[in-house]
Amino acid sequence: MADFVQLIINGLAIGSVYALAAIGFVIVYSATGVVNFAAGQFVMFGTFAGVATLVNAQLPWPFAYGAALLIMALFGALFFVSVYLPLRRGSIVTIIIGTVAVSITMQNAALLSFGSWPFRLPSPVEDSAVSLGGAIISLHALAVVAVTAVMVAGLWLLFNRTSVGVGMRAVAQDVQAARLMGLKVNRLLAFSWILAAVLAGVAGLMLGPMWFADVNMGDPIALKAFAATIIGGFGSLPGAIVGGLFVGLSEVLGASYVSSAYKDLISFGIMIAFLLVRPQGVFGEKIQDRG
Amino acid sequence: MKITRKAGLGVTIGAAMLSFVSVAQAQQGSPILIGATVPMTGPLSLTGKQYQNSLSMAEEDINKAGGINGRHIKIVFEDTQASNGTAVNAFVKLAQETKPAFFFLSSYSTQNLATAPELSKVQVPAMYAGGADVVADKGNEWMFRIRPADSVSAEGMVKAAVDVIKAKKPGILYIQNDFGQGGAQTAAKRFEAAGIAVAGMEAYGQNDKDFSAQLLSLRNKGADAILIFNYPQDGALVLRQAKQLGFKMPLVTSSAALVPAATQLLSPSDLEGVWGVVDAFMDVSVGGRMKDYVERFKSKFGVDPDPYGLAYYDGAMLMADGMRKAGTDPKALREWLSSVKGWQGIGHVYSYDNKGNGVRDLAVVKAKPGTKTLELVQPVSLN
Repeated sequence: MADFVQLIINGLAIGSVYALAAIGFVIVYSATGVVNFAAGQFVMFGTFAGVATLVNAQLPWPFAYGAALLIMALFGALFFVSVYLPLRRGSIVTIIIGTVAVSITMQNAALLSFGSWPFRLPSPVEDSAVSLGGAIISLHALAVVAVTAVMVAGLWLLFNRTSVGVGMRAVAQDVQAARLMGLKVNRLLAFSWILAAVLAGVAGLMLGPMWFADVNMGDPIALKAFAATIIGGFGSLPGAIVGGLFVGLSEVLGASYVSSAYKDLISFGIMIAFLLVRPQGVFGEKIQDRG
Repeated sequence: MKITRKAGLGVTIGAAMLSFVSVAQAQQGSPILIGATVPMTGPLSLTGKQYQNSLSMAEEDINKAGGINGRHIKIVFEDTQASNGTAVNAFVKLAQETKPAFFFLSSYSTQNLATAPELSKVQVPAMYAGGADVVADKGNEWMFRIRPADSVSAEGMVKAAVDVIKAKKPGILYIQNDFGQGGAQTAAKRFEAAGIAVAGMEAYGQNDKDFSAQLLSLRNKGADAILIFNYPQDGALVLRQAKQLGFKMPLVTSSAALVPAATQLLSPSDLEGVWGVVDAFMDVSVGGRMKDYVERFKSKFGVDPDPYGLAYYDGAMLMADGMRKAGTDPKALREWLSSVKGWQGIGHVYSYDNKGNGVRDLAVVKAKPGTKTLELVQPVSLN
């Protein structure tokens, strides 16, 4: 039982990070229709923003986290201005290829700036653990789950209780109608990219102490976030959360109770099964074209 | 035209100087080109950068010592990244454009296997550091290994578990690739031969970041020690997570978890109860050429050297020795390398067998209590 509790908490912690990356993915997709293949690198940048402020600049915790998230917000704005805006009139494939190119550029920029050696990003609750039902649970893992829950609650409030959030939903549904209703569409689109970057920053800051900061960490995250989005339902925020947690839990529990050698096969096998049987995912709505 | 005695003397001296310069130039000649395909970007650059640095240092040292009978060497690098295809392309590019007299290949067995057929076509000797036994078993006569084979490392780890830790029911955790699978299987066979039952074997993927399921599974199967076949970063992560899970049992890692790139990620407490089997014990306390190498490398590149990089440095020195004695003719150089016995490098004693394996010595190490400084527990020679 103790091991089961241990695995559940570890799975939820890792799944929370996947969920945050998947939410960033969904926000951008819903608002702009762009599948951001640089989403994993956004998380990697978030981790390295933490390395720059916490390890290199040695700022105190609150300032370091604040500065790292500010860097990510600026990066989101820069991405909107320098990548999305110039490409938005092109075909969707052009934009997607653009995000792939930016992903490679980001990875190599991080390699040139920080080198190939990984960093150990500290956690405010470094090496602290609690005993829960005989399992030794790291406080950082619990903190990751708690922070994700707070972020999700914040997002719900943003999208349902604020004019900015409602405007973002309106833009996501129909850009032209939103513009005709007087909404400042470009600002809302920019805010979508900024929000996605900040969420990736939070995911990166939480992930760093669990995985180490490594310039190659982005691709595996993007793959898992993608799987989470497919399983939960492309474009669905609750779907991203459930999908992320599901992928995290299936990884850890699959490795323990099925086979450690095939644990990725389990996650991606389920993703393929969804694509075949229920392509809209758990929370997605079925879209039909009428002839 | 009247030529004065003074003018005649000047012309004679000038001609003599010109001829001296041209003789010197002929001696110096164009540099001997050496090709090196190493991972300089991507996930494998963590260790690849060490090879690049140590080969650059060897190039400088060889040239300072007069080069190869008066000719300098020049090492031309190409990036293999973390891809077999890129490794082959890098090799072919060097072979076709640079036409080197000698090659250094990466330390990743899958890349070595992918490149081996191209090397056979080019017919130039090459040194490599991939550990998988299958590379040597293919019998490519142009390839010479400069590190212990994985079976040798696995044997060393089993010896450490049996002789030093006195494990009765060891578990095995391995990275799922040629290196990890080969090492784990060899270790399991060695344990079986020693009459010790293995508690269980668990695998993880190269990009995995959570090992709690595998570690808990081995503990539940009653493992009293765990052998870990790992790469640097995942090795460090396994050690950290084992501590976070409250593991008290001894852990025996393969070499990569204790290279500087990995230990800088760990705290002294993460290394409590951890033994490692490293290619070579690298510490200034060893003295002599090891001390000189460690100190010079650190002052030149700002990071501690690792045993993989040292293998490439030793390999370059061995190559230079061979070129001085046998020349740069590929077949002559290959024959000379094949006959090397007891060549004393800094990290190892090199003696090549008919499969191109040159190293069969290792070291069992452990961190000094409360520190990350490694101390030698015992050398292991499997000759």
